[in-house]
Formats: sequence, C-alpha cells, structure tokens
Amino acid sequence: MAKPLLTIVFWIALIAFFAWDWAHSSTVDARHEPPAVALSSGQAPTGAHCASTY
Amino acid sequence: MATTAPYPESQGQALVERPRWGRRLLLTSTIVAFMAFLAWSVAVRQALLFVVGVGMGSVLAGARFGFTTAWRNFIEQRDPSGVLAQLLLLALAAIICIPLLAAYPVALRAALGPPSISLLLGAFVFGACMQIADGCGSGTLYKAGLGIPLNTVVLPLFAVGSFLGSATLEQWLALGAMPPYGLVTNLGAPAALSLTLIGLALLAVWAVRSADVAARLLNRKLLVGAVLLALLAVLNLVIAGQPWGVVYGFGLWAAKLATATGLFDPAANAFWSEPANATTLQQSLFLDVTSITNIGILAGALWIAVGKRRPAKKSMTKTQWIVVIVAGFLLGYSSRLAFGCNIGAMVSGISTGSLHGWIWVVMAFLGSLLGLRIRRRFAL
Repeated sequence: MAKPLLTIVFWIALIAFFAWDWAHSSTVDARHEPPAVALSSGQAPTGAHCASTY
Repeated sequence: MATTAPYPESQGQALVERPRWGRRLLLTSTIVAFMAFLAWSVAVRQALLFVVGVGMGSVLAGARFGFTTAWRNFIEQRDPSGVLAQLLLLALAAIICIPLLAAYPVALRAALGPPSISLLLGAFVFGACMQIADGCGSGTLYKAGLGIPLNTVVLPLFAVGSFLGSATLEQWLALGAMPPYGLVTNLGAPAALSLTLIGLALLAVWAVRSADVAARLLNRKLLVGAVLLALLAVLNLVIAGQPWGVVYGFGLWAAKLATATGLFDPAANAFWSEPANATTLQQSLFLDVTSITNIGILAGALWIAVGKRRPAKKSMTKTQWIVVIVAGFLLGYSSRLAFGCNIGAMVSGISTGSLHGWIWVVMAFLGSLLGLRIRRRFAL
C-alpha cells in the first residue's frame, strides 16, 4: 500500500505525541495498578467517560 | 485547492483485497509489542482494553460499519440494512449489559448523561456535522486509521472541538439540565431491559416500514459486525467498569497539549479542575480508558488497511474543505455538549439504560436531515 504523505505525517505526529506524553506525565504507580477486570474487583470505576459531567 | 477526498463508507461494497502478509506481520508484531509494554509498564487492564480497541477498529473497518452512512442510506435511499444492524448491536449489548449493571452496581457504571439543553443542541449539531464530515466519533477514528485523507484532517479538529466543548460545558449546563436518569437504577433490570428492547423493536418496525420495496433489509456483513461490536462493547464494560466511549479521549489529548503550551489553565476551569479530570490530565494517556481504546481502534483499522487497495481519489474544492473543517471542529464541540457521540451516548447510553441516549438518537437524526441538505448543497 503506497502511503500518502498525509497518512505518514499523521502516524508520526500521533506516535510523537504519545511518546512526549509518556515522558512528561506522572510516573505510573505500578503498585497501585487498577484491577485487570473491573467486574470481579468490587471497586468502583475511576475512569472518566464522555457521558460524565463531573 | 485540489486534493484527495475520502471514499464513502460503502456498506457491503468490499474493497479489493490485496493481502500484504509481510506488512501485516510487522504491524501485528508492533501491536503485540505495544500490548506487552502496556501490560508490563502501565496496567494489565490497559493492555486488555487495547486489545478490545484493536478488535473494535478491525470490525468497524473490516465490515465498513458506519453509523453515518447507515443513517444517510436510510434517509436518502430508504435502505434500512445499516440501521437494522445498529439496532441489533444495541439490543445485544443491552441484553448483556443491563443485567450486569444490576448485578454489579458498584463495579460497573452506566453511561449516564443529563437530559439538558446542551444535550438537545449538541446532539442535533453532531447529527448534522457527522453527515458533512462523513464520520461520527468511531467513524472518524477508523477512517483515519484506514488512511482516508478527509477523516485524517478532521481528527485533530475533532479533538480541539471536544476539548473546547468540555472547557465550556459548565456554561452550557447552566442553561438547564436535569439529573441523569438511569433505567436500571430507577426501574430495575427487567423493566429497563424490556423498555429498551421495546423501544428498539419499534424503531426496527419503523425502519422496515419506511424501506424502499426493493431495498435489502439485511446485510450479512453488517450483521456480523453488529454482533462482534456488541460483544466488544460488553468486554469494554466488564474490563473497564464503564461503557465504551470515544470523545472524552479526544478532548483529553487536546487538553494536554493546551496545558503544556500554557494556553490553558486547567485549575481555572470547572470541568478540568474536577479531581477525576485533573488526575487524568496529569497521568499518562496510556492509563486513560477511552484513550487506550481509541488507540486500539486506530491500530485495528490500520491493520485492515494494510490488506486493502487504496480507493480511487477525487478532488475537493477549497470551499468543500472549509465546510468539512468547520464541521469537524463542531463535531468535537457538540459531542461534549451532547455527552457523547454515536458510541458514548447512543451505543453505550442506550445499552446501559440511560435516558440521554434515547434523546441523543432523536436529536442527532433530526440533525442528520439538515446535515444531508448541507452535504448536497456543497456537493460533498
């Protein structure tokens, strides 16, 4: 598949953005990892959602 | 300005397959490596959600499961096959999600948005703009992943609009809003599921009765896509504890950039200074539930694109591009006012028993009627 320039720029920009974010965000606290599966955790979900007003 | 335009979501019209196994293998290896990185360095939950996102992107792109085109085909050609597939998706997801929400009221959360003036206006504008920009929330994502120029350009504007929508949400809510209404918590699972299925059945009857006599009612590819997407949406709920969403992630991405460049002070904003959002803003995107499934959708669509021949190109005028760019921005802005797009509000809202999902559908459909007129006016 011959990728046009726009697609290449898009993916490079996206990956660069994620890398920048990873480098500049708070360090992930592996000791307080969220449960792998929420259903069986008994913990309330903490993530934000489009429907939330907060 | 002559440049490339998108190919339309051609439901059932498969692109010519040209598998490139070498490239697919490389991409598959990259996806597996990223999943391993997430599991090791971020959280097992995020790795699982990334896989779910890849599945969503693959199904959306592989089946060309487009919410926008399905509505357009129904309105313009009285072809109900796409709409009926969407109703199947909603019904299947509801049949599983609603009992789960009742059984696990602490661990699982419904997609509850407040019925409000902003919802009415936002859903209407979103419905119009998704026709003009040829893609809704999930549609813009998977088409950008497929490499379609229009949606690739729209995606960043969508993110900026989503961010500004969230930053001004407080003012819009001040115009009038009711507390979110959840069918499961207020009526119980049996009544919530019954009402949801009755509502979906009535819509299906309306779609079939409105169909052109020559129209094909069922499209096997879309029906398979609907079943798979329903299962993936359930998995999203089970793993994350919250339903599938798209636009929060977009807004977060733009908010991070605006904050980093000093253009925006989250501490002075009602929405982004709330503890949950402020925490998300400081954390890695890889810890955000919505962002990680969005990344997965892009990756899944790219995986599909590797095996497809690029579509024929056509030119778009400068005016057409301006119209699409404005629509792309409004798409993002209105999605925040509407408390979700076709995924966060419609699929997740209805399948988890939120009243706002039903209001969203009505207003977005009315908006689509206007959007199609604008689309014809500018020959998009």
